[in-house]
Amino acid sequence: MVGTATRSDPRESIVERHHPVGASTGYMQNLRGDWTAQVEEAWRVSSFAIELSALSESELPSLAGYLRQTPSLPFRYTSIHGPSKGRQMGEEELVTSLAQFSRLADGVVMHPDTMDDLRLYRPLGHKLLLENMDARKPDGRTPEELQRAFAELPEAGFCFDIAHAWSIDPSMAVASELLDRFSSRLRHVHLSSLSEDLHHVSLSDEDEELFSPILRRCLDVPWIFEAPPAR
Amino acid sequence: MESGGTSPLRQLAEAADRNFPHLFEARARTEPGLEERRALLARLPHSAEASVVLMGSWGRGEVTAGSDDDFMVLVDGAEQHEFEPTIEGVSEVLKQRPSKDGPFAEPVFSENLVNDIGLDADSNRNLTRRLLFLLESTPISGDEDVYRAVRDKILSRYLDESVKPYRPPRFLLNDVVRYWRTICVDFAAKEWKGPEKWGIRNAKLRTSRKILFASGLLPLLECFRFDTDSMREFIERALTMPPTDRIAGAFLENDAADEGGRALGAYDEFLGRLHESEFRDRLEEVTRENSGDSAEFAKADEIGKELQGGLLALLYEASPDLAKVVRDYAIF
Repeated sequence: MVGTATRSDPRESIVERHHPVGASTGYMQNLRGDWTAQVEEAWRVSSFAIELSALSESELPSLAGYLRQTPSLPFRYTSIHGPSKGRQMGEEELVTSLAQFSRLADGVVMHPDTMDDLRLYRPLGHKLLLENMDARKPDGRTPEELQRAFAELPEAGFCFDIAHAWSIDPSMAVASELLDRFSSRLRHVHLSSLSEDLHHVSLSDEDEELFSPILRRCLDVPWIFEAPPAR
Repeated sequence: MESGGTSPLRQLAEAADRNFPHLFEARARTEPGLEERRALLARLPHSAEASVVLMGSWGRGEVTAGSDDDFMVLVDGAEQHEFEPTIEGVSEVLKQRPSKDGPFAEPVFSENLVNDIGLDADSNRNLTRRLLFLLESTPISGDEDVYRAVRDKILSRYLDESVKPYRPPRFLLNDVVRYWRTICVDFAAKEWKGPEKWGIRNAKLRTSRKILFASGLLPLLECFRFDTDSMREFIERALTMPPTDRIAGAFLENDAADEGGRALGAYDEFLGRLHESEFRDRLEEVTRENSGDSAEFAKADEIGKELQGGLLALLYEASPDLAKVVRDYAIF
């Protein structure tokens, strides 16, 4: 028997129920370069988490400058997305740069397909998070491909991009396998739907329903919106 | 600690495909240590109404290399001077003396534990002893009926006529919550007195103390599933388990094996690290001022966050039923 105070509503949205959410600044194209405005926009989405996205290497210096002037961000969880395009600097120099960021963040997300010498990233330790890749990418997509990276980086955590996993396998079996394999490393989730050309778009109701059984296994970690939240 | 069928922690390990090696090693380490102490204490004369009880990591089944013998001589009755074994006698046998300022290595009388709940007589020490006795203790000498009788009396005091079916027992719930908040306030008070051992106190507050609190909170909230008779049986059964079994059971009951695996996996790692003297010693040297430079404190911080994330997910999201009970009972 369940008392009257404990009736549940199965129609509740799993995303609306989840408190540890946050915005990625990566979707704020119109505010690009203005970190203060991006952080303010992210704060409007959630005060819990933020992902400061420097997807292009050219954004790293301005992000470093912003963080130097901002001793403490008003979020409980901060991650930084390292560059995956526009790469100019050598990998050792990049890791040195990321290591400085890692002192200020809970995690630094990297795309494994953009990392050449994985061992160079070991100084980032548990702060380094490897993200599973979408179907367009040559590596880092499946449990087997990611396992090769984790074997070189035993301390690294897992950033689970659920839409990327969907692009590999719309039945969500690969998503489930990724969680089976790397559950102990899971640190946060990237949440969105994907457009036909596999770009992040706001999570649709259909995808939320499809993703729910997988998200149900990730209730203890932040979910980072990779596109403007639908609600 | 693993007797009586497959423990909830073992079941969670299987469901989450985890090993929890340090937790199981600590349980395995605890048992022979308890046996050794039982044999030594059995040589001491015992009054019929007295029992030596170990608390702390011994009561949690989580003994590490740095564990103290946090004992009390429990006497079922009013305050008195004549009882055996004496504190001095026990202290000669249990060599890992607890800290001098703590609530251990003293006689404890059941009338204080049972009758002085709340109001002025319920000192910080009395509250601490009562809640540790309920949540993380094990008898190691004397008549075990003494231990059980005192536990029954305390529970009967809490689970009085105010208890309603299918609702958490508020009296006991409030005291468990009060104890946790007291630990947190005392942490700040100790820091105000001086920076010594700030790092290890902080790390334990986020881990083993939080485990202790959650292991009391969760079974009490889960009482919404029971009528009053079954509720008492459920609470008694829960309190005979190690705290990590109570928590593992709650994760399983609420279909949150993945989250439970990560939360207790994090705690497992902390326990493993705590068993290493170098980690423990370095953590003891950490102060608030130098904490940003300590790899050991960074690790404890990460572990604490992971553990808390799992517990919060369990309390607020894993089950709509439990979440509503948390909303209705955990704050006010």
